[in-house]
Amino acid sequence: MRLSASLMPCDCPDTLADGSLRPVVSGLPFALSIEPNVFPTPSSKGELSLPADYTPEDCRVSSLRESQPVPELGNASSAEDRALVTAILQKDRKATAEFVARYTDEIYGYVRCRLFPRYDVVNDVVQEVFLAAWENLGQFRGEGSLRSWLLGIARHKVETYYRTQLRTPEPIENYTEDPGIHSTFSITDRLEQEQIRKKAWQVMSSLPETYRLVLIWRYWDRTPTRDMAVKTGKTEKAIERLLARARAVFRERWDS
Amino acid sequence: MTRDRSDEEFFRVVADASESSETLPAPSSLKARIYSALVNRQAEAAPLMSFTELKACGQRLCVFEELVRIAPVGETIKSLNVCRVCHARVLAERMENPPIFWNGCPYVQLKNS
Repeated sequence: MRLSASLMPCDCPDTLADGSLRPVVSGLPFALSIEPNVFPTPSSKGELSLPADYTPEDCRVSSLRESQPVPELGNASSAEDRALVTAILQKDRKATAEFVARYTDEIYGYVRCRLFPRYDVVNDVVQEVFLAAWENLGQFRGEGSLRSWLLGIARHKVETYYRTQLRTPEPIENYTEDPGIHSTFSITDRLEQEQIRKKAWQVMSSLPETYRLVLIWRYWDRTPTRDMAVKTGKTEKAIERLLARARAVFRERWDS
Repeated sequence: MTRDRSDEEFFRVVADASESSETLPAPSSLKARIYSALVNRQAEAAPLMSFTELKACGQRLCVFEELVRIAPVGETIKSLNVCRVCHARVLAERMENPPIFWNGCPYVQLKNS
């Protein structure tokens, strides 16, 4: 891999020997450079990779010939992430502001959705994510993107919240399962996506917190019941029973 | 068994439909509080990068930071987290659209992000 990120002296010239502009990432004092004829393509995991049919000789020619846009700095995100992390570790407060500005929206969106409607908790959890990120930033190796790394921390924090809530005694709810509520359905025929979304969160907000959390953890985060059991210290059977109760109440309120 | 499968399918559809919705941007006051907390945490262990170094690295300083940078004081003072005593921080942490506009201020950047 020949993508490289290098720390350049701050007073380095803006142009390279060949007259081209030196690329600088987001105003940070780090210059990123890519060796000629190498156009890495980002993989879905944010890792650097080259096309399977890549050959150094024809890469640039074919890109230009077919009028395809030349990838901008290939996986600049990864190198950019590392540059940003380096700057933050050097306690560059402007880089810290850039870090917060760049990633808070996404982390907030994720946490907000997972903790709905406990908006009173969301802000604290998001802040905890960033503080935990700072504490562990030295361990970031740039193997994946900074975004994925932060989302991993957010997921962990949300799960910690779930665990805490699910370990408390379960609410005693008097309900009886109506066999009719499990009849065949075709909700996509009946409701448009936006309506489903609104209704889902409306029903969710009316559920006891334990039910809401267990449903979000299972279906929105797609966590296997076995993992949920391990993380909460409950048996898998207990989680399944809790899920069954939560599903029944949800369906009941959904259909009412 | 059929009922379980039916339930699973139902909840998958509902989760997928709810997931794809657009998310709201984070409140700017939250961003401001996160930034303040991070910088405070960074300043706890060792001094922050001084304004002299920040300027040399090409970072933009706000008018107050610039004043501290050119003041005849040592680098220790120039490494302090001066935002702690700045009204821009107070406003940004408490208001969604704080009346702060000057260039180089991290809280203005967060407000506009």
